[in-house]
Amino acid sequence: MSYGKKDEDADTGLVKVDRTQVFQEARLFNSSPIQPRKCRILLTKIALLLYTGEKFPTNEATTLFFGISKLFQNKDASLRQMVHLVIKELASSAEDIIMVTSTIMKDTGGSTDAIYRPNAIRALCRIIDATTVQSIERVMKTAIVDKNPSVSSAALVSSYHLLPIARDVVKRWQSETQEAAASTKSSGGFSLGFSGSSASIPVNNSTMTQYHAIGLLYQMRMHDRMALVKMVQQFGAAGAVKNPAAIVMLVRLAAQLAEEDANLRKPMMQLLDGWLRHKSEMVNFEAAKAICDMRDVTDAEVAQAVHVLQLFLTSPRAVTKFAALRILHSFASFKPQAVSVCNQDIELLISNSNRSIATFAITTLLKTGNEASVDRLMKQISGFMSEITDEFKITIVEAIRTLCLKFPSKQAGMLQFLGGILRDEGGYEFKRAVVESMFDLIKFVPDSKEDALAHLCEFIEDCEFTKLAVRILHLLGLEGPKTSHPTKYIRYIYNRVVLENATVRAAAVTALAKFGVGQKDPEVKRSVEVLLTRCLDDVDDEVRDRAALNLRLMKEEDELATRFVKNGKLPQSEPNWIALQHHIADGFFFADNMFALPYFEHQLVMYVTSDDKSTFDAPFDLSKIPVVTREQADAEDRTKKLTASTPSLKPPKVGPAKAAQTGAEAAASASAAAQKYAQELLQIPEMSEFGSVLKSSAPVELTEAETEYVVSVVKHIFKEHIVLQYDVKNTLPATVLENVSVVATPSNEEELEEVFIIQAEKLETDAPGKVYVAFKKVNGEGSLPISTFSNVLRFTSKEIDPTTNEPEEQGYDDEYEVAEFDLAGSDYVVPAFAGNFAHIWEQVGATGEEAEETLQLSSVKSIADATEQLAKTLCLQPLEGTDIPVSQTTHTLKLLGKTVNGGRVVANVRMAYSSKSGVTTKITVRSEEEGVAALVVGSVA
Amino acid sequence: MAGLFRKVYDWLLRTFWATEMDVTMIGLQNAGKTSLLRVLSGGEFTVDSIPTVGFNMKRVQRGHVTLKCWDLGGQPRFRQMWERYCHGVDAIVFIVDIADVALLPMAREELHLLMEKERLAGIPLLVLGNKSDLPNKLSVDELIDAMDLKNIAHREVSCYGISAKEETNLDAVIQWLMRFANR
Repeated sequence: MSYGKKDEDADTGLVKVDRTQVFQEARLFNSSPIQPRKCRILLTKIALLLYTGEKFPTNEATTLFFGISKLFQNKDASLRQMVHLVIKELASSAEDIIMVTSTIMKDTGGSTDAIYRPNAIRALCRIIDATTVQSIERVMKTAIVDKNPSVSSAALVSSYHLLPIARDVVKRWQSETQEAAASTKSSGGFSLGFSGSSASIPVNNSTMTQYHAIGLLYQMRMHDRMALVKMVQQFGAAGAVKNPAAIVMLVRLAAQLAEEDANLRKPMMQLLDGWLRHKSEMVNFEAAKAICDMRDVTDAEVAQAVHVLQLFLTSPRAVTKFAALRILHSFASFKPQAVSVCNQDIELLISNSNRSIATFAITTLLKTGNEASVDRLMKQISGFMSEITDEFKITIVEAIRTLCLKFPSKQAGMLQFLGGILRDEGGYEFKRAVVESMFDLIKFVPDSKEDALAHLCEFIEDCEFTKLAVRILHLLGLEGPKTSHPTKYIRYIYNRVVLENATVRAAAVTALAKFGVGQKDPEVKRSVEVLLTRCLDDVDDEVRDRAALNLRLMKEEDELATRFVKNGKLPQSEPNWIALQHHIADGFFFADNMFALPYFEHQLVMYVTSDDKSTFDAPFDLSKIPVVTREQADAEDRTKKLTASTPSLKPPKVGPAKAAQTGAEAAASASAAAQKYAQELLQIPEMSEFGSVLKSSAPVELTEAETEYVVSVVKHIFKEHIVLQYDVKNTLPATVLENVSVVATPSNEEELEEVFIIQAEKLETDAPGKVYVAFKKVNGEGSLPISTFSNVLRFTSKEIDPTTNEPEEQGYDDEYEVAEFDLAGSDYVVPAFAGNFAHIWEQVGATGEEAEETLQLSSVKSIADATEQLAKTLCLQPLEGTDIPVSQTTHTLKLLGKTVNGGRVVANVRMAYSSKSGVTTKITVRSEEEGVAALVVGSVA
Repeated sequence: MAGLFRKVYDWLLRTFWATEMDVTMIGLQNAGKTSLLRVLSGGEFTVDSIPTVGFNMKRVQRGHVTLKCWDLGGQPRFRQMWERYCHGVDAIVFIVDIADVALLPMAREELHLLMEKERLAGIPLLVLGNKSDLPNKLSVDELIDAMDLKNIAHREVSCYGISAKEETNLDAVIQWLMRFANR
């Protein structure tokens, strides 16, 4: 009895374990004879401290460690296990841990069935250092191929940890590891985990050893692709490996190999396809996911994977359904038509009692659905919205927002839906998501403007969130005056002045002022004036100040005031910095022209966080920030929003990052890249006089990725100059290239005159370098020269002396010819966005010129591909949702852009698809500037 | 209940019949510590044993006495740790390779360094001249002189010549050690 009671005491004692107290108690280890039971409890306490994050200082850890080393070789097997466990944990903080190596080795060795063997092996790998790894080689080798899975696993995992310490030694254990991975052993018998004595290892039928072995093999062969391929093929064969986790590892490896090497894609895809039919669900999922994540996957390749996932959708287990749906959901973001075959099954899941599944089902359907099914879906969602939490609601709202942009014609129904849920109960984040969706609708779908504004007006009547009210008021101020009945909005806005807190009142006053300034209707103008005059009596300073300022502006000469209130262009007389502050503070800073905000932000942060004091001597130079038009900014914004797709409930990203480069995504990343280029070019003194970059093209590969020298080019267009930026990478090992230059010869030498070359001084192996070649436009700034460039890389090649690691003195000059590229019309065009295509089409057509071309794109496999490629090569922005073809056979793509000189370029592309001849396109381009239309058409032909 | 009886039984056994004593075995590398211990614990003599990394521990059972022998590594990096393991033991055994005369001065130095430690005062010391089977070896008297054992005071010091390989004189060693049990 007393024994059991003592145990209880020990248990309660564990709860309030104190480090110093435990350290005092540790004298127990030195007592003779050893009391295994007490020692075990004490060791457990130490382990508890270590595992709960307590750190022993080095001297205490060392003392403890030596104390514990006295307990070695005790007859009590459990004590031995504890000793190994604690030693393993102490190894990182104690000194002289190498002392116990021999003793621990004794516990690891032999063919004994002792229970502490795995523990000893794991402890051993923690205490060993690089110089002594060799001495445990034999022990480890035998342990890896031990017939007991626990021992084998322990040895494999230990080797995994030893690999970075002593790569060469551990690599010699490959054949043993291979054997462990291939063996489908089990220690046999149907014992229930009991064996005669507690000191021997319980029966373990796990095949986890295979997983560990394959993991280790991968680490060993990581840099040898051929070996990896062999490994995947060997173990990927049916029945070679039993453990599902091990196969999952192989699946990921196969996917990675297929991604890295195009030649391996086919065999690896075959393997992945085979794994789709594996008997373990885990493997099926992983294979399906790998296939879906594959770069440029074709519909045929993915069909089987989608089919497997579809079967899982009807599984009785919630987790299976969830997993399948989640993969389909993320896949639907970029290949909705491939997933649409599952729509029927997914629709059944909308009413699933598991909310995660239901939400995923709906958002997936919203992506895969065609225009016809949207209305029905919306109805279903409406019934469902009240039952779910805000988090799920946000996910759905985001999905609907994407959908609105995709199918502008469906805006009425969606707007109604959004208006409805805006009235529902909900937190700030949810309301914000809804309001933002409405903002986007107003911005990108002009037809919806009036209705959306009406919904928003109603919302601010009873809005508890100051932030949202302010944003909506600002939008009303912007959009309201342009509508047919501005007075309607004035009433709503003035209500805010009467009823709300100071922040909202101030915003309302500013919004009101926008109706007044530049107002043509004297009646409206007078009423705004009356309302603003009333605001002069407000209790809040800010509100009064704004009212006074705006009253003054209304009385000003209309032209100036309008420019001040509505246009972001700064009055030149005012010092930049102060003007900017005013503009931002008053919310005026939002009109037809605006700064490139991301770049602006970056520059400001750079300025503010500068370490160099002299930076602050000069005020921040606003003139360096490129100004973009609203259309350009909107175009970027829209593509970003469309491609960002629905942020789901943040599923963890496994495997390599997705690289589905659609045209839109490329455009989004290109804008970021352009700013980076602009910044780099500013650093080069020779180019500072060229002015700012008007346009930077996407990089064009001039060599294959596997050649000795990898070269790509970026074309930068300046006002009077063109700069070619060559990115050169030297992939030859043990060679240094010096004085690298590129001889670029334009075919059109009359119009382009070379100004200078900036060489790359030195290129070491795998270090990228840049060569700049600048040309001057002979015909002045308005001209848009087109040309083909042939390029020859010139350099001095020097070998590196392996003994000194220094390059040899004498090198030899060499040349390397790379592919040609074109400077085409599309290089002078940037995408721009507008709501109404037909209007612009007629406008440009009336004043400008037109060019036409009919093309046969036989290599393109579908309308969708053609749409994407054309928008990309023409460098124009698709309008009115025409970037997503509705029909599989015919499509009209409407495109808009601006040249670097500011003239508009519109394109109307009609396409027809037949399986025989591919896609036939008729491109009609109209441009405001002379000659541009032909140039742009020419860039496709 | 069973646990209680078991505990009482264990205690009785420990107190009245069994005795356990700690012995550390030190000496320069390749003196034959590990081999000696293996032979003492009833194992076979092996020619090619690997250098001890850290220490080895073996129990040697003689009647009701259990000798817990700590065989410490003799390489220079382990020598500063001898003291830690000699602290609190019942006897220290210092093993010398009497066929390798060149190393004797170093062995003497290490031994005297260790014996000067205060924490180890009073612990009996047994110096063993190992490898007496080889030719060109020192006699016991020569060893006593070479190791300057007469100058080690305040403890019981003995010196034997043995051979782990031929198992000569090992009984004497055990007998000597047993005298310090129960003290």
